[in-house]
Amino acid sequence: MVFDLRRCIGCNACVVACKQENSLPDGVFFTRTLSQEYGVFPNVNRVYIPTLCNHCEDAPCQKVCPSGATYTRDDGIVMVDGEKCIGCNSCAVACPYDQRSVMTKESFEDGLYADGNLTPFEEQGYTRFTPGTVTKCDFCSERVDAGLDPACVATCPTDARIFGDLDDPQSKARQLIDERGGKPPLPEKNTKPKVFYVS
Amino acid sequence: MASAQPAIVGDSFAVGYRFQRYWGTSMASAFFCGELGAGLFLVSLYYSVNAGMILGLVVTAVLKTYFHTSHMGVPAKSWRAILRPDRAWVSRGLIMIVLFTGFGVLHVVTGAYGLFEMGSSATLDIIKIVAALAAVGVMAYHGFAMSDSTAISLWDSRLMPLVSVGYALLGGAVVTAVLAGPTQAGDVSQTAVSLPSLGLVLVLLNAGLVSALLYGAYHGSPGARISAEMLFKGVFARQFVPLVFVLGLALPFALLLWAPGSFFVELAVAIAALIGYYAFRVFILRAGVYEPIMNFAPPE
Amino acid sequence: MSSQEPIQNSLKPGKWIRSTCKMCLHSCGSMIHVTDAGIINKIEGDPTNPSNNGKLCPKGNSAIMRHYDPNRFTQPLKRTNPEKGPGIDPKWEPISWDEAFDLTARELKKSIDEDPRKLLPSIEDFQKFNIWNWPLAFGNQNSFQSGGTMCGGAYHPVNGIVHSAFAVANDVKHCNYWINDGTGDGFSSHLHAAAQSNWVAKARIDRGMRCVTIEPRLSTSAAKSEEWIPIRPATDRHFALSLCHVMVKEGLCDYAFLRKDTNAPYLVGADGYFVRNAEDKIYVWDSVDEEAKLWDDPGIKKIALEGIYEVNGNECKPAFQRFVDILDDCSPEETEKVTTVPAETTWRIAREFAEAATIGATIDIEGRTLPLRPAGYNYYRGAQGHKHGFQTNHAFKMVNFMVGNIDTPGGLMGVTLDDQWVDRSHVEPGENGMMLPQPHQLGPLPPFAFPPTTHHLLNYFPVGLHPPHLNLEVFLNREKYGVDFVPDVMVICHSNPLWAIQGPRHKWLEFMRSMRFIVVSDIIPTETTLWADVILPSHDALESWNMTMIEPPHTEGMCLRQPATEPLHNTKSEEEIFYELSERMGILEGYNAVINIVSGFEHKPELMLELDKKYTDKEIARRKGLLWNDKDIDWYAERGHAVTERRTDKWYRPWEGMRLHFYIEDMVKERDQLKANMEEADVPFRNDWCWDDYQPLPTAVLDPVHEEPAEYDLYGIFYKDIQLNFGESLSNPWIKDIVYRDPVHIALILNPKTAAAQGLEQRDIVKVESPNGFLFGRIGTSEGMHPDTLGVSNALSRTKTSHKGVAHAGGHFNDLLPYDLKNTDAVTGQPETVCKVKLTKLDDWPEGLKDGKSVYDLVDKLQETGGGGVH
Ligand SMILES: Nc1nc2c(c(=O)[nH]1)N[C@H]1C(S)=C(S)[C@@H](COP(=O)(O)OP(=O)(O)OC[C@H]3O[C@@H](n4cnc5c(=O)[nH]c(N)nc54)[C@H](O)[C@@H]3O)O[C@H]1N2
Ligand SMILES: Nc1nc2c(c(=O)[nH]1)N[C@H]1C(S)=C(S)[C@@H](COP(=O)(O)OP(=O)(O)OC[C@H]3O[C@@H](n4cnc5c(=O)[nH]c(N)nc54)[C@H](O)[C@@H]3O)O[C@H]1N2
Ligand code: SF4
Ligand code: SF4
Ligand code: SF4
Ligand code: SF4
Ligand code: SF4
Ligand SMILES: [Mo]
Repeated sequence: MVFDLRRCIGCNACVVACKQENSLPDGVFFTRTLSQEYGVFPNVNRVYIPTLCNHCEDAPCQKVCPSGATYTRDDGIVMVDGEKCIGCNSCAVACPYDQRSVMTKESFEDGLYADGNLTPFEEQGYTRFTPGTVTKCDFCSERVDAGLDPACVATCPTDARIFGDLDDPQSKARQLIDERGGKPPLPEKNTKPKVFYVS
Repeated sequence: MASAQPAIVGDSFAVGYRFQRYWGTSMASAFFCGELGAGLFLVSLYYSVNAGMILGLVVTAVLKTYFHTSHMGVPAKSWRAILRPDRAWVSRGLIMIVLFTGFGVLHVVTGAYGLFEMGSSATLDIIKIVAALAAVGVMAYHGFAMSDSTAISLWDSRLMPLVSVGYALLGGAVVTAVLAGPTQAGDVSQTAVSLPSLGLVLVLLNAGLVSALLYGAYHGSPGARISAEMLFKGVFARQFVPLVFVLGLALPFALLLWAPGSFFVELAVAIAALIGYYAFRVFILRAGVYEPIMNFAPPE
Repeated sequence: MSSQEPIQNSLKPGKWIRSTCKMCLHSCGSMIHVTDAGIINKIEGDPTNPSNNGKLCPKGNSAIMRHYDPNRFTQPLKRTNPEKGPGIDPKWEPISWDEAFDLTARELKKSIDEDPRKLLPSIEDFQKFNIWNWPLAFGNQNSFQSGGTMCGGAYHPVNGIVHSAFAVANDVKHCNYWINDGTGDGFSSHLHAAAQSNWVAKARIDRGMRCVTIEPRLSTSAAKSEEWIPIRPATDRHFALSLCHVMVKEGLCDYAFLRKDTNAPYLVGADGYFVRNAEDKIYVWDSVDEEAKLWDDPGIKKIALEGIYEVNGNECKPAFQRFVDILDDCSPEETEKVTTVPAETTWRIAREFAEAATIGATIDIEGRTLPLRPAGYNYYRGAQGHKHGFQTNHAFKMVNFMVGNIDTPGGLMGVTLDDQWVDRSHVEPGENGMMLPQPHQLGPLPPFAFPPTTHHLLNYFPVGLHPPHLNLEVFLNREKYGVDFVPDVMVICHSNPLWAIQGPRHKWLEFMRSMRFIVVSDIIPTETTLWADVILPSHDALESWNMTMIEPPHTEGMCLRQPATEPLHNTKSEEEIFYELSERMGILEGYNAVINIVSGFEHKPELMLELDKKYTDKEIARRKGLLWNDKDIDWYAERGHAVTERRTDKWYRPWEGMRLHFYIEDMVKERDQLKANMEEADVPFRNDWCWDDYQPLPTAVLDPVHEEPAEYDLYGIFYKDIQLNFGESLSNPWIKDIVYRDPVHIALILNPKTAAAQGLEQRDIVKVESPNGFLFGRIGTSEGMHPDTLGVSNALSRTKTSHKGVAHAGGHFNDLLPYDLKNTDAVTGQPETVCKVKLTKLDDWPEGLKDGKSVYDLVDKLQETGGGGVH
């Protein structure tokens, strides 16, 4: 995945699309678009920075996972097997990008309207999660397997999220990285992210 | 150029230092109990304070397990934590705890109380050595588990396991001293160092280690510096400094200098040191922050 | 694993339905996924719709949470507690639809039988003009709704005069230099926000279009622009005039366009009227023959734009010269004193703009050779929503007139509201070679009358849009305005006037209390539903039919809304609701006649509704589809829409051969006509009327907001962003989850230097006071705020409702705004939408907002910084 910081308008449509697609409870985000203001009036600007799991090649979350719940698919997508996860949160403190989400029992009980009832949407969606486990963005692996773009990519009004095979020199994602000098987030953490930013 | 310092942002959608929100007080309690129990066992083993060994085993096996399971999102599957010792310190630690509990109990019933025949004294020694090594492992693994989380720069320090061991020993020593006092069970005369003196040394050692840890953090990456600042002058300072440094280190030091060996002093020392130790465990978790994602400077 | 059922919602077994989004008033194409169990579990953009290209904004992405909102009204309700007010439980009692209709019809009829003017409607679904215009069925032209006034009271009329269109947007396909003044267009709001930001991003990144944003705050548009020009609020007209000043002084204008395609050369006499002959034909000056000729004289050699001439013994000037005279006082150095924009910046921007406009260049598009003017000055609510709105809009148009970009590739385009059918052009010829001005884009206005026939004085705004705030002015001074009727029933549908309209709440609440009966049709509880005597709950957009096309900037064509599920609750479509009421009130025939006109059915007689019948939402939708392209509902049901890119013949210069209104002579005419009417009718308040507001050319007059007492030392502005549909979407948990984590929506924002000067710090609690009202809030700082300005997000605007998800914000910005005539444009009814404020630091929240009761507590909860995690 490549994020084009010149395109992103910080609208967070991606965030809501992800919540819809993946039935995420209140306060849980597999992706967030952050903003940062810099400079002093009148020479000031704001940059919008989309973030999600970087599907790190050397994923610290996987290294510390004592149960083997976190694993990497052949295509490089870092996955969590909810059946195996014990909810120790080790991965959450190991991910330098704060991209792991704790699926507390309470959030499944309280519901999005915090009234102790679940909407039909939640009822049909929450079954995918095991309460108490920790999970995260899986690059919409099912959609990707079905040949679709991830939900956040599909909805992004400005096409700021470019999904593609970074190993394929023909892919738009790879080309953008090469042309505009894509940078990974926090390279000093030595995680080898598969997400790059161009600005 | 980014002139606005990224702030501490909680879970807002702003770039900045984000608190880790995943290891809380249950985890701090589990760490505390795990380390303290192992330290207590080890010190008591050395000083042959049987009550200390038993208490140490109970603290680790029961309390630590209790807090750890209550931290766990899916407690019923906690056993799975043992599956990846090849890479995860939590798995390794769990194995240590199993070993420690097993051999510790075995040592107490055989070596200490001689309730069962266990063959040769070599076997007894092996049991004792394994129990002792496993205790060291338990003491240290918490630190490794934290320093392995390179995400949180405050924790990402080689000193972390040493601090764990140091505090475990300090905790062990001050509790053993209390237990050794009234029961008179320990044979102190055969050891070179008296328990109060050990306490003094360990207080100094820990003061040094904690200071070094925080000094290193302050002069380390920006996130670690923010964390250290929070502990010294920021949001946590009003609790961290009095509890960890004054109550947990300075007061025991003074008391041990003033009246070593007195039961009530030892009791006071133990209470103060343990509170400081626990506070250290809590705040070192709470002060952990992730670094802001800002390495790709904003477009000019 | 692979044999498992999918866990991602879009891939679960089920079906996709093509429909149209309605999370704001616009109409992006959507696809709705319904599971085999009949549950809506994913909504995506429709990639076949060229407007939004498969994209949805966050609001569009959050429709499911409105559908399943447990706070929705599930059945008709009747109030049993006669006491009304915020925080007072109406003690709703469920009633049958029959009873609800009977009761409502009886109460409404009681009033309109006495006097049709006693009914006050607030009906404002932009996607359903067939409902909106219901009161016309009994000749009622009152309005208590806000739509169109706060945002476009002056904008729409001026667009109607200049483009014969409702809205405007720059031509994104060719524009290279996009100025955005006081609007989020292309970045966060305005026309089809999801669609427009897609088009604009492509232009920005793929074609390198340059953007400049003029704003008091670093909006999203400003942040993404190459340049942000901070401006003092309510001074945008001065900035625009100084751009014109530079272009005129430096000869950077498209003189050929001004001569040929506008009335700029028409000669204007000292009285402001064009100089005409006995047959009413207008003169121009031929500078070669040095004589006046009729505008259509084939012998004109060179038409003069400048100079002073004499025709029939009277001194006169080309309209352009009159504008040049005005601009003499509008140098960047002069306007800087008002706008705070450095003069050098203005000089540079004007030059860059004119250069980017490539005056003289042409482009061939589908067999036509057209001027290519790839620079446009785009603007909307923030820039135009001021007292002198008419002049302000006119000034923005003038910047575009200067470079000849009106409706021209790359320039500022007229965007129609609802084209209705394919073949019609929205442009018609008017007098003297000019295009027919069409200021009344939402239908004709009531004629002059005294006593007034409307409770908001619409009889006196010649090119106005409904000014709802004047209901308050009149309510408090009925005698002064000679209003000889007392409205006592309200019909509210799809509108939240108690949120939307400006003026202090406590006075509005008195107004509400004066009503005998209030009926509200909505889907969720709001500030306004709290006042209802009867609630008539309607279907939501995922359960109902509709056909619409609302202001798509670059596309045209009807969009179908179709139900994805059966209604969840015992609700009805608005169509059924208004038909049932009409029948019981005995106004069915009148209502059908109104729909035939406003929906355009009269243009295809076979589509006309029979007057004595009731129609379903589906049938109305079907006929609108047929009206557009002769396709039946099944065709639409499969495709979802008939949207194509705008056809270039109607999009580019559809007025070819006509002259545009550079000089708006109608202002002089309307003023004099109104004056005469008022004299004749001896209207008591005629001397209070702001006669100076009627100007055929924009001037540098200051808006009265700048003259408030000095103690009010800051300007207060409000803003929204793409996540928010006004304040309404704040009840949606997904929207709340993102909005209250965004630094620009969680505090009243000041520049840090201003905050320091006021002795304030981040998180200080303040009372904000204007001459009109007050609110409470918490301070935040941002370098991205003009130092004169306090910014208040719409995310901090909700007050007491019975929706459990809506948090009290400590007051409402609209309380601070004026509602009087002095701050209302006498031409259009446009009210001032910024105010002067002062801040007082408080030690604690006032009672009622303490202890976790305000929106700020929610903000803190979501943001929580304290460590110590979840277990
Ligand atoms: N996302 C979204 N889109 C919408 C809507 C919505 O609610 N949400 N509503 C629709 C409707 S009805 C309308 S009217 C349009 C309005 O759409 P916009 O015209 O974009 O309206 P706002 O966002 O209210 O205001 C635009 C900007 O004006 C700035 N501003 C305030 N005062 C001044 C001033 O004096 N001068 C200048 N230059 N700027 C000023 C504000 O900071 C704000 O950023 O959007 C439509 N589209
Ligand atoms: N402070 C402040 N005031 C403003 C503005 C602002 O930005 N800030 N914006 C101004 C502008 S530009 C405008 S246009 C007005 C807008 O003012 P309103 O049109 O009053 O806007 P909303 O609050 O969106 O009200 C729409 C109502 O329709 C209801 N609704 C939604 N869907 C349906 C449906 O399918 N059926 C029915 N029956 N009801 C439905 C919603 O619940 C909501 O109560 O506000 C103006 N006032
Ligand atoms: S949807 Fe696209 S533009 Fe909007 S915040 Fe996400 S990445 Fe940025
Ligand atoms: S971003 Fe975090 S969660 Fe994702 S793979 Fe990397 S370390 Fe793991
Ligand atoms: S929380 Fe689950 S996924 Fe994370 S480290 Fe523990 S077992 Fe692995
Ligand atoms: S790829 Fe899918 S799971 Fe990941 S952030 Fe995007 S929508 Fe969410
Ligand atoms: S801009 Fe309006 S119509 Fe388009 S997706 Fe957003 S809410 Fe829906
Ligand atoms: Mo509006």
